[in-house]
Amino acid sequence: MKQPYTPRANSNRKFVGGYRPRIDAWEKARGKVEYVDDITTKSRFPDLLYAKVVRSPYAHARIKKIDVSRAEQLPGVITVMTYQDPEFTSLKPTNAGWTDGVDTVSYDRKMWADFNDRLVLGDYACWVNDEVGAVVAAESEEIADEAIRLIDIEWEVYPFVLDPIEAMKQGAPLVHPEITQNNVLPPEKMGGEDVFLDKGDVDAGFSEADVVIEDTSIHHNATQASLDNWCCLVDWTDEKLTLYSNSFEADQSRMHISQMLDLPLHKVKVVSSYVGGQFGRGDTGDQPFFLFTAMLSKKTGHPVKFKHTRHESFHDSRQPAIYYGKVGAKKDGTITSLYFKSIGNTGAYTDHSIFALKFAPLEIAEVSFAPIPNVKLESYAVYTNKLPACMMRGVGNSQFNLIWAHLIDLLAEKLDMDPIDLCIKNFGHEWETLPDKSLTEVLKQGAEKIGWNEKRNSTPGQGPTYGRTMKRGVGFSLHPAWHAEWQEVRRGHIPVSITLNADCTVILDAPTVETGTGSNTCNVLGCAEALSFLGITTEDIHWNHVVNTETSLKDCVQTDSAVAYLQSEVIVTVAKEIKKQILERAEPVLKAKSKELDIVDGRIFVRKNLNQGISVKELLFQGDLVPIVAMTSRLVNAEKTGVPYFANFAEVEVDTDTGKVNVLHLVVLNDCGTVMFASGAEAQQVGGQVMGLGEALTEEIIYDEITGVPLNFNFIDYKIPTMADMPEIDPILLEIWKGAGEYGACGIGEGTLTCTPRAILNAIYNAIGVRINDIPIKPEKVLRALGKA
Amino acid sequence: MPKSSKGTQEIYATPPSGIKIKINGCWHNFEAERDITPTMTLSYLLREKLGYTGLKVSCDEGACGACTVIMDGKPVLSCMILAVEANGHEITTIEGLQKDDPVVEAFAEQCEPGYGTALQCGICTPGFVMSTKALLDENPLPTMDEVKEALSGHICRCGCYAGIAQAVMHASEKIANKGDES
Repeated sequence: MKQPYTPRANSNRKFVGGYRPRIDAWEKARGKVEYVDDITTKSRFPDLLYAKVVRSPYAHARIKKIDVSRAEQLPGVITVMTYQDPEFTSLKPTNAGWTDGVDTVSYDRKMWADFNDRLVLGDYACWVNDEVGAVVAAESEEIADEAIRLIDIEWEVYPFVLDPIEAMKQGAPLVHPEITQNNVLPPEKMGGEDVFLDKGDVDAGFSEADVVIEDTSIHHNATQASLDNWCCLVDWTDEKLTLYSNSFEADQSRMHISQMLDLPLHKVKVVSSYVGGQFGRGDTGDQPFFLFTAMLSKKTGHPVKFKHTRHESFHDSRQPAIYYGKVGAKKDGTITSLYFKSIGNTGAYTDHSIFALKFAPLEIAEVSFAPIPNVKLESYAVYTNKLPACMMRGVGNSQFNLIWAHLIDLLAEKLDMDPIDLCIKNFGHEWETLPDKSLTEVLKQGAEKIGWNEKRNSTPGQGPTYGRTMKRGVGFSLHPAWHAEWQEVRRGHIPVSITLNADCTVILDAPTVETGTGSNTCNVLGCAEALSFLGITTEDIHWNHVVNTETSLKDCVQTDSAVAYLQSEVIVTVAKEIKKQILERAEPVLKAKSKELDIVDGRIFVRKNLNQGISVKELLFQGDLVPIVAMTSRLVNAEKTGVPYFANFAEVEVDTDTGKVNVLHLVVLNDCGTVMFASGAEAQQVGGQVMGLGEALTEEIIYDEITGVPLNFNFIDYKIPTMADMPEIDPILLEIWKGAGEYGACGIGEGTLTCTPRAILNAIYNAIGVRINDIPIKPEKVLRALGKA
Repeated sequence: MPKSSKGTQEIYATPPSGIKIKINGCWHNFEAERDITPTMTLSYLLREKLGYTGLKVSCDEGACGACTVIMDGKPVLSCMILAVEANGHEITTIEGLQKDDPVVEAFAEQCEPGYGTALQCGICTPGFVMSTKALLDENPLPTMDEVKEALSGHICRCGCYAGIAQAVMHASEKIANKGDES
């Protein structure tokens, strides 16, 4: 029997933290919610045209000659535009740095400003499928597809490189020679130098250590695989441009379009309805298709829809990284020195490689490695001719965790210590003394739930054998959260408004693109809690699910797993303003000053004379029935509160004859600070394991090394775990740490899968006594490690 | 099974080029070539021509289950069936389910501690709901293994499989309870 979580003592919450369905559960279960593909059908836009773009068949090539005459003559084709058209040659080069995932920036202030390596439509292709050369608008998708096939292109084909180590060698094909002459991205201001952290003296730290361990790990090119393929509709048939998209941000898209197309902001309208999962895919700027679709709309005078097929939606991926790590420690387990060096396969465009390789590890070091005197971090992002790597759920952290928790396991074994004790002894955060309460508790509870002491083989590989060939083992991994409120200061102001209607119902404008994370329900619960003096329930609150940049406030970008609590904290402030306004309105009616009044359960009363009162509803129904409206836009609270920890524990069974790994049990532990919405948080914990287990065991993009062609851009050969593949999962929510503010919650969504691969890998080692550090762990790798293949 | 509702327009005299499909209880007539081309998939017909956008097309090659509808009582992938193949058959889409359908209710209500919700972004949900509907019509009291087998053709990238499995079990109980009441 599964147990509900235990809320912090004396929390006394009426709504926040509860187990309940999502606010959109019924509409979603009935298939009533509309995604962008549903609201951009021909029946709604009768003069709709469909766009398609040429995709490079080569990993590295330039268009020498293009002839679109056969395509133009195809009946049903309305226009063909090429990279040579002035509409495209006049556009500035761009990149994905229009956002660091959280704030809205201008062209000049975008990140990776030194690496403007993308053109909206150019002649240069640097991976197979690169969108280049020409775009078509036609009456149907089939005609548009056929027109693309009729475009005659003469390519100048160049040698290509897929492997980052090869790409760094002298003489390797250069992917963006205008940016780098050795494919390594030069240092820039956001990520810093190649050695981007050098605290103390690591060499001295290793010299004074009794034990020094080193090893490598390899994380691969997984993909987000949202079922909601990239799709947009642009209507730029008059001076105003309207974009419907399934991007996870609206305000950033508006700024991106405004700046790239030189349109005033009030002439750009972005509408975002429900999104069918995003998982970090893409960022503003790595989606030039908004812009070429806009050009087609302007030229044809029709609304134009551009939609990726599933194959084409393999458009973003996790940053693959080869990590080398070295750790030195005293005999008693005190770590004296830590060194990590990574080589990242950036793929064809910079996108957010540096965010994954430098920014994320720096955040981890700032907190977890604070107690360690000597720490050095070094990284190289390397261009290759592969699918670009960008943000993916747990950006940078998943890759770093794969090496970090590996070193922990190795070092503990060498010191003959329990790795749990080693973690408690060494890792914490800068603002607290060791041992860290949050870290200790997640590991203690995880160990108990998985059966750490009973199931762990004291000698790896030497446990009992099950069913002739099966070996079992347990492992864990831990990580600091990176979504406390102070870590989100880059977001700047967060606006929220509450409208209290005359009948005491509420319209909550806490805009964010609804991608499934559950933040919408968190906000409604937070709002009900903050307005509980009105005696209302969640049913009395309407949350606007469509973000429309003309009528909504600025959306809180659906990244960093942080929206749920960031907006809820602002809601608390707005609710206080609502209360103030109600009391002011009550002053003449109750003939008392508002400071003499209070509201409980929907009734306003004079504190000194409880009988003298009026219900809020009665008050609001007097006079002009004008709703009470309050809006606040406030900065994120920068108070440094440290971070909580999370961890995953795994039990696996490995078939030593076939090499197949079966995960038997996963325990997922998150210290949330405050649980905002228990069912939603557990859904994130349980749900994240599909991606985590997939990345660990089955998901992998495979390339033909001879041609550079990706071979499995489909859901048949890119293996996402299904219901039958998933083990029993125990989600455990904790409230140990607390951040700033009323709730002091912390995002958990991304962290739920960060530790999964390494927990499984450490369990595999415990089962078979051989380490494999190159995910995904396919059966052939297991057999090779066992010396059987 | 789709319910044949009263007042349905039964078409007895179909021209040779005519295609008729019963959708959510109503017969629809189509003319070959004009309304339905030889290569048109059932999912395209339902979504783009008739506006049944509850079903989703994601992989468009039978690998994700998002486009699942019920044809003659069996769950089928509407992206893998040509529209002409549905001639003379009965199709139920998610729009054809009652608001208080026990499967819909169970998917919406799932919040039993320890399993998470049965849906998050919701894009795969209509497919899961339709397969569950077909499963429970045929096997009202499935074991957990049977549920996993029946639903393993669906991808939920948000990963709500545990919540979905609980929802299917609860739907099964709801159906059994309804049966007891009647």
